[in-house]
Amino acid sequence: MGPDSRRLNSQSGHHYLKITMVALGVACAVAGGLYYLARLYVLNEAERNIQAVLLAHRGMHRYIQEVMHPAFYKLKAEGLVAEKFYAPEILSSSFIVRNQHKAYNEERKAAGLDEIYYKMAALNPRNPVNKADALEEKLIRMFNENKEIKDYREVVRINGKDYLYVALPFLVNQPKCLKCHGDREDAPLGLQLRYPGQGGFNEKVGQIRAIESIRAPMEHQYFVIHILFASSFAGLTVLTWLLFFNTRLRKMVWVRTQALEQEVSERYRAEEEVRKANEVLEDRVKERTAQIAAANKELDSFAYSVSHDLRAPLRGIEGFSQALLEDYGERLDDTAKDYLGRVRAGCLRMGDLIDDILQLSRLSRGEIHREEVNLSAMAGEIAEELQRAAPERRVVFEIAPEITGFGDAILLRAALDNLFGNAWKFTSKTEGARITFGRQEEGGKDVLFVRDNGVGFDMAYADKLFGAFQRLHSFQEFEGTGVGLATVQRIIHRHGGSIRAEGAVGQGATFYFSL
Amino acid sequence: MRTNMILLVEDNPDDEALTLRALQKNNILNEVVVARDGVEALDFLFGTGAHAGRDLTIMPEVILLDINLPKINGLEVLAKIRKNEWTKLLPVVILTTSNEEQDKIKSYTLGANSFIRKPVDFQQFSEAIRHLGIYWLLLNQAPPVVKG
Repeated sequence: MGPDSRRLNSQSGHHYLKITMVALGVACAVAGGLYYLARLYVLNEAERNIQAVLLAHRGMHRYIQEVMHPAFYKLKAEGLVAEKFYAPEILSSSFIVRNQHKAYNEERKAAGLDEIYYKMAALNPRNPVNKADALEEKLIRMFNENKEIKDYREVVRINGKDYLYVALPFLVNQPKCLKCHGDREDAPLGLQLRYPGQGGFNEKVGQIRAIESIRAPMEHQYFVIHILFASSFAGLTVLTWLLFFNTRLRKMVWVRTQALEQEVSERYRAEEEVRKANEVLEDRVKERTAQIAAANKELDSFAYSVSHDLRAPLRGIEGFSQALLEDYGERLDDTAKDYLGRVRAGCLRMGDLIDDILQLSRLSRGEIHREEVNLSAMAGEIAEELQRAAPERRVVFEIAPEITGFGDAILLRAALDNLFGNAWKFTSKTEGARITFGRQEEGGKDVLFVRDNGVGFDMAYADKLFGAFQRLHSFQEFEGTGVGLATVQRIIHRHGGSIRAEGAVGQGATFYFSL
Repeated sequence: MRTNMILLVEDNPDDEALTLRALQKNNILNEVVVARDGVEALDFLFGTGAHAGRDLTIMPEVILLDINLPKINGLEVLAKIRKNEWTKLLPVVILTTSNEEQDKIKSYTLGANSFIRKPVDFQQFSEAIRHLGIYWLLLNQAPPVVKG
């Protein structure tokens, strides 16, 4: 992975954080809304429960007061019930409702439901069980002081459970109420006997005597809501995460795809560039080849014209010098004849030079036709020819047998001709002249050599040996054009080989070469 | 009709003089007709131009033909000689300064009978001319004359 994709990764890291924040925010907002709605629902449920209980109780109160009491008073009036008879179990709606609620709670408990607290709370109740607690007392006073307040609601927490608490003013004392709740002395005897204290007496008209204090549990609903809420929150979170991972995966896929596409297009571009470069190179090669071909052609025609035109005047000079010598020789003195001789010698030498240059030029052109060449046999032929041309010389040739080379027979012949010719020439003043053609190994490669024991050369000039027209000897010592070794080197180089010379003045020379 | 005549086609006056001198030196005293360019040589051989009306039964024993000639070069002259019914069998010796491979190949391909290089050394040149004379004028049996 390159630095680019790493940068993309860190970018997607930032993206990741951002998405997480947003997802959590959304989840929390939704959860908050849900929670609010759930609470409303729970409150509403509790309210309805309470409402149901209260309405049932009111119904009961009304039945007692509107049905039972008239029936009972009628019986009393008819003397069927003693005048002083009083029993709260039969006559007190509060008593009846309270005990009925107690039984109701027992039934709830038996049914596995939470109890609903219910109390007819009064400041000064006849029965101490109805005595208001601190909150209820406070509420009774509040309702008495502010008659426009019709209810009180509060969610309370008891032993870790939530309850909806509702308080409603229940009774406002009316004149008829004072029959039993006014002065003790005015109350029925049975009542006085039953409740010995001041509880339930001395009430005043217009005063709120009691409140209904009721507390319904919200826990069950909360439990359901909590489960719902928790599971939906979990679901939402999981969904959000899935959504996020989906986004992230998409993003990653996108990034990778981009990277791949970029890579593909880069590769394509690189290939295109290589192709173009190749085309340019090919064009250039074609162009250069054409240029070289043209240059070669020019060189050819140059060589051709040199071959023809440069030699013709030379032949004229030489021919007419000769004619002068032949026809007017008797009229010339020795100096004049010597001069003419020099003119002729110069012409001949120049003719040789031209021939050698042309040969050198020819060697640089044309194709090489490689084949297996028997160099030993070739060397033998050359030695024979040299000996035949100068039978008076005594030279020992040592030619190693079975030396072969893979190259152009004509060119190799020209190279050996030159090397042997040199050896022959430079041993002309040596007693016991010896020319050796052999092979030796150097660094795992076959190296051939032509060695003589002639005049040799100074190693200081070794690098000059192979330059065209480079001569280490005066013309008087040894004749030659100085092109021979340049020709040899060019032939060896055209074969991909190398050549070097070793020698010392008076101790012969050795030319090592490889193909 | 054979006259032992030699046609020398040579544009260089020095070479012409030297060739004539070499012939003379070697006692080759045959008549020598000199043409100084290719057109003149063909005019002589075909009886056209300056040589219009020439007796075409008189043909050279041997033609000494230089290659490097003005107007029409030696190789073209050779080609035309070989294409013409009257001259196609005439012995043609290319006598040139060149020793270029291509010249030799072209000459022989076009039907040259011999290819001789003019050496710089006049003595060698003279020797070559001597051999040439002995061979083409004495030893060689010329082809029969073509009747027009």
